[in-house]
Amino acid sequence: MRPALLLFAIALVAGSASAQLPGLRKRDSQPVLQGIDAARADFLAKSGADTVYFGLDSAVLGAPARATLAAQAQWIRMHPDVLVRIEGHGEPNDTRDHALAMGARRAQEVRDYMVLLGVPAMQLSVTSLGKERPGAPRAVTVLVR
Amino acid sequence: MIFSSKLKWLLVTAAAAGSAAHAQAPGTAAATVVAVPPFSTPNDTRTSSGSTLSIAWDASKLIAQDLRTTSEIMPLPPAQKDFYSYPEVTAPSFPKWRAAGAKVLVMGFVQARSDKRVTFGCYVYDVDKGREVSRAGFVVDPSDWQRAAHKCSGQAYTAVTGAPGIFDTRIAYVAESGAGTAKVERIAFMDSDGTNHQYLTAGDTMVLTPRISPKATRIAYVSYAGGRPQVRLLDLASGAQRPLLTSDAISFAPRFSPDGGRIVFAMMNGANSDIYVASAQGGLPQRLTTAPAIDVDPSFSPDGTKVVFESDRSGSQQLYVMNADGSSQRRISFGAGRYAAPEWSPDGNWIAFTRRDAGARRIGIMKADGTEERLLTNGPTDEGASWAASSRELVFQRSDATGNSRLFRVSLDGSEPRNIVIPQNGSDPDWSGVTD
Repeated sequence: MRPALLLFAIALVAGSASAQLPGLRKRDSQPVLQGIDAARADFLAKSGADTVYFGLDSAVLGAPARATLAAQAQWIRMHPDVLVRIEGHGEPNDTRDHALAMGARRAQEVRDYMVLLGVPAMQLSVTSLGKERPGAPRAVTVLVR
Repeated sequence: MIFSSKLKWLLVTAAAAGSAAHAQAPGTAAATVVAVPPFSTPNDTRTSSGSTLSIAWDASKLIAQDLRTTSEIMPLPPAQKDFYSYPEVTAPSFPKWRAAGAKVLVMGFVQARSDKRVTFGCYVYDVDKGREVSRAGFVVDPSDWQRAAHKCSGQAYTAVTGAPGIFDTRIAYVAESGAGTAKVERIAFMDSDGTNHQYLTAGDTMVLTPRISPKATRIAYVSYAGGRPQVRLLDLASGAQRPLLTSDAISFAPRFSPDGGRIVFAMMNGANSDIYVASAQGGLPQRLTTAPAIDVDPSFSPDGTKVVFESDRSGSQQLYVMNADGSSQRRISFGAGRYAAPEWSPDGNWIAFTRRDAGARRIGIMKADGTEERLLTNGPTDEGASWAASSRELVFQRSDATGNSRLFRVSLDGSEPRNIVIPQNGSDPDWSGVTD
């Protein structure tokens, strides 16, 4: 059974990202990762994963999830100019609104654990995708705000 | 928008006899035969939507078509060579219809008025007893003859079942196109027979669970426009939208109160999902549940005094009923499996739900006290039931093996669910009440 997952989307704060605006850049003109892309790659390399998994119908963080989150939290603490978006997912077989609530609950548990590990709350935002957009686990969505 | 040119209904007469002609208990499968002979016109007159005789002919065809969509009625459609004079509308020959096997007879006329509108008369008779059951008249613009015909279909439906007619109602749903991350979702709105289909949102952001207000003037829904799911309100006449709440908390699963003045919904408070109620005009929400569990999917009773909702406070999802102020919360579902997404029927008797067990999601109903539970569909991917105004039928969504979601309607009488034809995939249907 494939449990639910959490994704991280990273965005540089507006000031430091203003020179890059990746959404406006042409794909082929940028062979070297810079700005947000580089931050995302570094985040993934240093923390090992952008996704943590939960048990069925559970929002309890297991040991592997805690280990991943600890590495992620360390990286985020060292990059105070980065904003992190925590996206929770529910079970695809669940009903729509319970899945939405379960995704939100999982995302909130991750956020609270991050704060416990010393990540400033203002760097973190939480959302839930419920059972919408399933099968997007590799997504690291960049938000330029 | 659809209601900008709101119809002016003028009730000419309405002498509805108290009880139904053949009150049929839900669960009985025998269809009542209803004859719909061609409508008459006292004087064939040209109008902006064709002659009154052609409107009369089209109206009787539409009424037969409406009645055929129900499982309770078998219509005898109009025959082209049949002709009935205007006086026969109010004095039908009952032996003829008895011989044809009809139990109920629908007759009517379309008459041009000097103000360029038409009078639409509808008469429903009990054939066995040889007496009138109900009559109603509408003065409408000639282009609105379909709505008058739908109202007449409803009159016949009420005569047979004792329940409100569902033909002049709307369905809102989420229209889906594309797949995966490229999926586009829009709130769609249509008449219950699929006509007057329109999209209400642009498809630039994810949307969920549209819910029609009791007078079908507004729609509450969930939008990701702010990056996270939040309840928004859409005014159908102006197209204007706004968030229900000023806070940026995650809010979802909205439903209107029966008077349309309040909205009950779920909101995240940290890792806890609770039920809240707020004025539809805005303002601070009032919290109704506090359990450290996922409380979600609230739905008002039709008298507005109670709310049914779903909670996993016992360890699995079950249905609970509480007073509208949050007091006296008690569990009503005790069967095997998880119970979710309850909706209270318009007549107050039933609660529809989605039951999830052993990999299947199915639609079922139970009495408001939790008794007489039964399943209406076989699944395995059914979800999101919403009542018809008649309380005898439900609309729901069903996905196929490839994840394409379609809309279906199912009757309480145990007949097979029937597909509702829509232009694209659809989910989260909501069926309106009868509007005037």
